[in-house]
Amino acid sequence: MPSLIPDGIPRSQQAISVLWPSFIVAIIASGVFFSAFDPRDLIPFNLDIDISPVAAYSIGFLLFWLLASLSSFGTLYFTISNCRFLNKQRD
Amino acid sequence: MATSEATPAEPVLYEAHKKIYPRDVSGYFTRLRVISLVTLLGIYYITPLLQWDGRQAILFDLPARKFYLFGLTLWPQDFIYLAALLILAGLALFFFTAILGRVWCGYACPQTVWTEAYLWMERKIEGNHNQRKKLDKAPTSAAKIRTKALKHTVWIAFSLWTGFTFVAYFTPIDVLAEELLNLNLGPWETFWILFYSFATYGNAGFMREQVCKYMCPYARFQSAMFDSDTLIVAYHPERGEQRGSRRRGVEPATVGLGDCIDCNVCVQVCPTGIDIRDGLQYECIACSACIDACDNIMDKMSYPRGLIRYTTENSAIGKGQKILRPRIMVYAAILLLLSGSLITHVAQRVALDLDVIRDRNTLYRETPEGLIENVYTLKILNMDSKPHRYSLSAEGIDGLKLVSDQAEIEVEAGSVFEMVVRLQADEYNLEARSVEVNFHLQAQDSNHLNASREARFVGPGSS
Ligand code: SF4
Ligand code: SF4
Repeated sequence: MPSLIPDGIPRSQQAISVLWPSFIVAIIASGVFFSAFDPRDLIPFNLDIDISPVAAYSIGFLLFWLLASLSSFGTLYFTISNCRFLNKQRD
Repeated sequence: MATSEATPAEPVLYEAHKKIYPRDVSGYFTRLRVISLVTLLGIYYITPLLQWDGRQAILFDLPARKFYLFGLTLWPQDFIYLAALLILAGLALFFFTAILGRVWCGYACPQTVWTEAYLWMERKIEGNHNQRKKLDKAPTSAAKIRTKALKHTVWIAFSLWTGFTFVAYFTPIDVLAEELLNLNLGPWETFWILFYSFATYGNAGFMREQVCKYMCPYARFQSAMFDSDTLIVAYHPERGEQRGSRRRGVEPATVGLGDCIDCNVCVQVCPTGIDIRDGLQYECIACSACIDACDNIMDKMSYPRGLIRYTTENSAIGKGQKILRPRIMVYAAILLLLSGSLITHVAQRVALDLDVIRDRNTLYRETPEGLIENVYTLKILNMDSKPHRYSLSAEGIDGLKLVSDQAEIEVEAGSVFEMVVRLQADEYNLEARSVEVNFHLQAQDSNHLNASREARFVGPGSS
């Protein structure tokens, strides 16, 4: 019986399935988020940070990407480990 | 996470990637395709160079939070238009996919556009598909290193130009060029240029058809938009089979064969490396290379063209193609409705916004004349591309008086103007402790440009 999930998915494709969907999500998220909020109004605790708008948008985007990647990574991790578990049970 | 211990004995779903060397092809559709690809590349690289009213015609000015689209300046408030535009683009994709199949993939997708551009450079430097394959197999030699180095240098230069152009959609291209020439590009600009260049280099130089196969969401769900009347690239098995080789000029029927001479040219030209004779496959990006390739073979054999052709499932079984079908009409109706409403909204969009903030420190004050006074901060946003002069009025209470230190309200194009105004009213005219008042702003040179905003006027309360 074929295994539920191909354990043989190459690393590179695993990386893509984590980084790529989260990249798209990060674009949408930063688009919506920064339309509503000006990064200049968002500096927390009245900190005196001098940060250029481009830097603020870039960091915002990268943070969204990181968050979404963590979520994608979780999905991939659980899918693979669950399937491995089910495969083992079946054997 | 991929384990070393688990090596499944079953067939793996993902086969190891084999590099594809698409053979050159020429013909009607190839020409059409080149025209489309070159036009799109041209639009991409030229757009940031266009000027309008002394500024870049299309620019997402992030620091200023404005989006310039020729004569139109969009603000974050106008986000909805951009969102609507994206939805519209998505719907248009549905519509065209339902009628024309994957034309987007073959003729317009950036992945295809840049892959073809990179392939073209590869062909110019390394030669045709056979020479390229031979070069890759050849042992390392000075000549091989030289050719490869040349190719990658050209690729990287083109990638950097692409990345630079990309960032020029967000930072004015003249500023960017000057910073680059003076070698003082900002760190984030540098980062994004390199990021985008790297992505282009990787996707167009190496990943190529794998992006379509493994990463493209459209490729996965396009089949949902297909029906039996959608245009597809298809091989005509009744005519082609029994396939087999024969000498030129042989009448197929006399040797018991179909029209396919099994020369495999259609497979060699395919950029995704599939055999169209196996039927419709989701890897097929409908680039039509195999159509041209096979037509050329048919010409050589003096057989009629079109063994591989654009067709629909229905016309392939002799049913004739129907273009106007319910699904198309529904897509078209939604598309028309949405684009119509978007156009009217943009046309009627008032390039003026008024924000009123009541002074929170004092509820109200009494003036020496015994009037009740409230203080407000007004934020006037002129979203137009011209400066305007405005008149301000307020109403809602009998005998309401508007007092301001500002005799004239003039706001520069695309800027925000803040002013403090006071409203004064007689206590007798106040019907409640808090009454609604209305500020009204009217441009002096255009009837259409006006904005209203309500606010509360607070008094001591009726007793
Ligand atoms: S099968 Fe034909 S149309 Fe489809 S991708 Fe290959 S060459 Fe292009
Ligand atoms: S190019 Fe045409 S004739 Fe040649 S193998 Fe393909 S279908 Fe057959």
